[in-house]
Formats: sequence, C-alpha cells, structure tokens
Amino acid sequence: MFVDILLSAILITGFLMIAAKRIGAIIKGFISQSLILFLLTLLLAYKSHSVELYVVAGLLFVVKVILIPHFLSRIVKKIKVDENLGLFLNPTVSIFVALFFVYLSYIFTDKIVCVEEGIEHGAFSVSLSVILMGMFIMIFRMKAIAQIVGLLVTENGLFLAAASVSGGMPFFVEIAVFFDIFLCVIILELFVYKINKAFTHIDVHRLNGLKG
Amino acid sequence: MELVFILGIPLCLAIVSLFLRRSGVFGILNAFGYLVILCVSLKLSFDITKNVTLFIPSTFFHIDALSAYFILLIALISFISSIYSIGYLASDVKEGAITERKASGYWMLYNLFAFTMFFVTVVNNLGVMWVSIEMTTLISAFLVGFYNTKKSIEAAWKYIIICSAGIVLAFLGTILLYYTVSRHGGINSLNWTDIVSVAGNLDPRVTKIAFLFILVGYGTKAGLVPMHTWLPDAHSQALSPVSALLSGVLLKTAFYAIIRFMIIVNKCVPVYYTQNLFIFFGIISLGIAAGFILVQKDIKRLLAYSSVEHIGIISIGLGFGGILGIYGALFHAFNHAVTKALMFLGAGSVVRKYKTSNMHLIKGVINVMPFTGVILILGAFALAGSPPFSIFLSEIMILTAGFQQGSYTGAILFLLFVGIIFAAIIYHFSKVIFGNKPQAIMVTHGQITAKLSLILLLILILIFGISIPVFFDKFILNAVEIIKG
Repeated sequence: MFVDILLSAILITGFLMIAAKRIGAIIKGFISQSLILFLLTLLLAYKSHSVELYVVAGLLFVVKVILIPHFLSRIVKKIKVDENLGLFLNPTVSIFVALFFVYLSYIFTDKIVCVEEGIEHGAFSVSLSVILMGMFIMIFRMKAIAQIVGLLVTENGLFLAAASVSGGMPFFVEIAVFFDIFLCVIILELFVYKINKAFTHIDVHRLNGLKG
Repeated sequence: MELVFILGIPLCLAIVSLFLRRSGVFGILNAFGYLVILCVSLKLSFDITKNVTLFIPSTFFHIDALSAYFILLIALISFISSIYSIGYLASDVKEGAITERKASGYWMLYNLFAFTMFFVTVVNNLGVMWVSIEMTTLISAFLVGFYNTKKSIEAAWKYIIICSAGIVLAFLGTILLYYTVSRHGGINSLNWTDIVSVAGNLDPRVTKIAFLFILVGYGTKAGLVPMHTWLPDAHSQALSPVSALLSGVLLKTAFYAIIRFMIIVNKCVPVYYTQNLFIFFGIISLGIAAGFILVQKDIKRLLAYSSVEHIGIISIGLGFGGILGIYGALFHAFNHAVTKALMFLGAGSVVRKYKTSNMHLIKGVINVMPFTGVILILGAFALAGSPPFSIFLSEIMILTAGFQQGSYTGAILFLLFVGIIFAAIIYHFSKVIFGNKPQAIMVTHGQITAKLSLILLLILILIFGISIPVFFDKFILNAVEIIKG
C-alpha cells in the first residue's frame, strides 16, 4: 500500500520534471524524486530488517538529496545563466510522450520480463519509465544542466530497478555506484564551467563545431 | 603477485606525479614503470600458457587467459605511448602551450586512466566492472579536453554524456542478468565465475534481453555504429598519445566486457543469437565507417573512423564464430591496437609540425619529416590490411571463418567494405605523404622518443605479419577456449 503510493509519487515527480520549463523547477523535481526514493528504500529496509539497506538509504539521502542538488544549485549561481531550460518539445507534447513511456514500460515488464510477484512488477515498470524519462530530458532540453539532471534521473531509475529485483544488488556494488555518480556529477560540473568559459553559454545544441 | 605490480605501479606513479613537479624527469620514471608492467604481464601470459596456478588474493579478482591477453595489450600500448608522451609534453612545455604543473597533471591522469583500464580486466564482479568502465570515461574525459579549446571541451562533453547514457543501459542489462541469476540460478552473486557455473539454468528470455542492453550499452563505449557518434570527436581532440590509448585499447576494454557477458549468454541461449547480433552491428559499423573515411578531410578523424571500422571487424569475427573466427577477432584486437597506435603517434607528430589536421593543407610529409613519412606510408598500408603486415593475417582469418561457417552474405559485405576502406586510406595518405611541401614548413629531425616508439610498433607489426610466435599462438588459443566455454 505505502509502496504503491511511493511508486506513483516517483512517477509524478518524473512528470513534473518532464513538464518543467525552468532550471530551478527541474532541480526541485529531482530533489523530491530522490527524497521519495529514500523513503522507499527506508521502508524496504524496515520491512526486511536489513542493516545494509539502511546504509544504502542513508547514502542515498546524503548523496542525492543533499550533496548533488547543492552542486547543481552552485552551478546555477556561479554561471548566472538565464533560467529557461530551452525546450525542443513543449510540455504538453512531452507529457504525452512520457505517458507513452509508462505504457511501454508496463507492456515490456508484463510481456517480456514477466517478473512474478506484485511489488516487483510495479517497481520494475516504474523504474523503466523513469529511465526513459531521464533519457528524454537529456535529449530534448537544451541546457547542459538539463543533461546532468537527465543522467541523474536515469540513475534514479537504475537504483529503483536494482531494488525491485530480489531486494537490491550486492552491497559493495551499490556503494561503488554511489561513488561513481558522485564523481560523475563533480566532473560534469567542472566541464559546465569550462563550457561556460569557452563559449559564454551552456546551450548544448549550439556545441556543433565538430562535424563529419 | 603479478596483480600487485599491474595495479600498484600506475597507482604509485599517479601519487608520485603529484609531488614530482619536473615533468621531464617524471616522464622517464613513468616509462620505466610501464616497462616493468609490460614485463610482468608477459610473465603472466607465459605462466598461463604453461598452466601455472596463479596467486590471486581473493575472489574479487579473476585472471584467466582472456583477461591476461587484454592486460598484455593495455601494458604494451601504454608503455609505448608513455615513451612518446615524454617528448610530446616536453615540446608543449617548451613552446609554452602548457605549464609544468599542467604537465604533471597529465601524468597523473595518464596513470589513473591506465589503472582503471587494468582494473576492468582483472575484476571478477560484473557490477564493479561496470563502475570501472564508467571511471575510464570520467578520467579520460580530462585528457580529451586537455587543452581547454572550444573543440576539445565540446568533444569531452559529448564523450561523457553519450558514454554515460549508453552505459546506463549496460547496467540495466546487468540488473536483468542478476535477476535471473538470483531467481533461476539460485545464487545471489554478480561474480563472473559464479554466474558462469550456473549459466545453464538461467531464463533464456531474460538473458536475451539482458544481452541486448549490454551490447548496446558497452557497444556505445566500444564505438559500434550507431552508438559511435562521440568517438571521432573525442579521439581527434585528445592529445595524440592519448588518442593512441583511446583507440588502441580503451575500445577493447569495453569489448572485453561484452565478451565476458557473451560467454555467459552463449551457455543458455543458442550461439547464433549473439553471433547474429555481432554480425549485424559489425557490418553496419563497417559500412558507415567506409562512407565517412571516403569523404574525410581531417587526418585524426580519419583514424578515428578507422577505429570504428576495426571494432566492426572484431565484432564480425566473433559473429562468424568457430575457433578461427574467435581467434581472428582476438588477434585482430592486438593488431589493431599496435597499428592504430603507430598511426596516431605518427599523425600526432605531423599535426604538430604542420599546426593543422586538415589533410588538404598537409602535403609532402616525406620531404619535411623523412622518418615519420616513411613510417606513416608503411603504417597506412598496414592499417588498410595489405600483406606482409599483421592486420592482413587477422582479416584473412575472419574472412575464411565467414565462408567456413556459411555466413556468405556477411563475408561478402565484409570483403566489399574492407576493399572500399583500403582504397580510401591509401588515397588519403598518399596525398598527405607525397606531393610538394608548403613553403613555410622547415625540414626538421623528429624527437628521439617519437622515433623510438614508432620503430618499436613497426617491428611488432612486421613480426606478427610474417608469422605468429609460438608462445603467442598458444596464448590466444587458451583465450579462445575460454570464450568457447
């Protein structure tokens, strides 16, 4: 019951990010999605009495709810870029595309993967839709920050997918993945500064000097 | 014990480079370090062909003939590229393009990059393997964007974003595999050795889908078409010694991961499933690369597209299968690494001399730099696949495997595209190397480090083109056995 509510909340935050027009809104969407993911992990940890899951939940909270959003807002502050994300597809069409993603993920899970028990089924199809939504944000939004957030959203989806399958991956794999995401965001932040310095903008679609 | 050297030396060198600010001195120390690694990995290969039991500290690591083969490849190319880097960086510092401080930053990144590549090949856990492949991307991105020019930053950004997005799919594939391993295989482990032992019990349907995700995900990193779009940008913008590493061995570490998964999948799904996928991606890689090589204007981009071609050939070799096909694919990985390193290092010297990479502006290399010119024209023939160079041998093996296994369409398309690419590469390079040199360019003698590294590579290409040494032959056969299961 709680799990279902949290899962649908994850989907809703996904839709919020898809519909977001401003950088601030998409970062807030990411924070809320990570927070819900944290609550979900906490719930799973409580149910299974597993210390490792508590640790994973704690890491999730520190890395994805506190540190990474902090880095993201630091970028926004430092480079004083205009607030618009720059949409290639308007929010209405984007929402319809995202709805299609949810349908597709459900069908995929249902027909092809055929996970047997209830919760896994729901969680896995939600995680697939979140991954697709993240990819969508990476492709159809212009600002470099949107690509970082898109990548992070796909990582959220991966985390959920891993959790939905037999209660998570081996413990140290989870730790290594967190470390990896953390490093990835720091390095991407450095490159956003470099792009801003060299090009005086961070519009990814205008990075077209290399061709052929 | 070998493991300690292979992983420890790059890590120690990375730390030392932080404190030793004189990059010239450090460069020589660095090259010695990689010489030691090369010797250790040679000893490792000898031990494996003689069936000596290896000392491996825990199940976290796993070394067999397949991983030893890739370790040898990485050790060889990073040793030669580290020799070349000494002179390359020294002249950069002398011309004031970079500071001493930035040069020692280069050495640190170089060592960390080599460390992550070695790590991919020795780690047993498939999840940790994923993390280390992502790490190779993150670290080499700094080497791609090293000069902080507009083009290099653009290339580095595309590199990180496309490869990270691609590799997300590979992780999804790993999760799906883990699902069927824990549900149908009955173990909660991601260790490759454990999964292989239960591979027969896995659910074929889930495994098939998992492999698709893995192939597309790691295929992005390996440079298979249509996921290759970052590759020509990154490989052309990186420093030339790094381009040699990226094209020569980084692509193969991603392919190594694909092979590890393929071994598992082949045990529970009929072999032709993975084979058809490999042939499909290989042929379109060859086709697209042929088109881009024909119309290419930039010498480094041409070499980058040629890497797409050769990854395609390796993929086709695995697709044709049989002992000959797999042998050819592995041997081709070695040949391509050596030849492509030669070409990138040679082209790097040319680009530096002419201060442009546009092939319309580079003429008469043989008059300006006689030594590099001769090596480059030989290298161009070697890369295109003409005898008596080693790529010819492995391509013939793969072609024969295609006809042997009855994949006639695949084999004929392979021959067609390789023929087109042969003509295109010879055409482009003969225009670059011969012809009248521009007035402004002075004749000079190249750096001794560059000459040394080019000669070493050319000797290897010639030796392996005439005959494969007995020890090496046995070594590859051991690796083939592991792949065939």
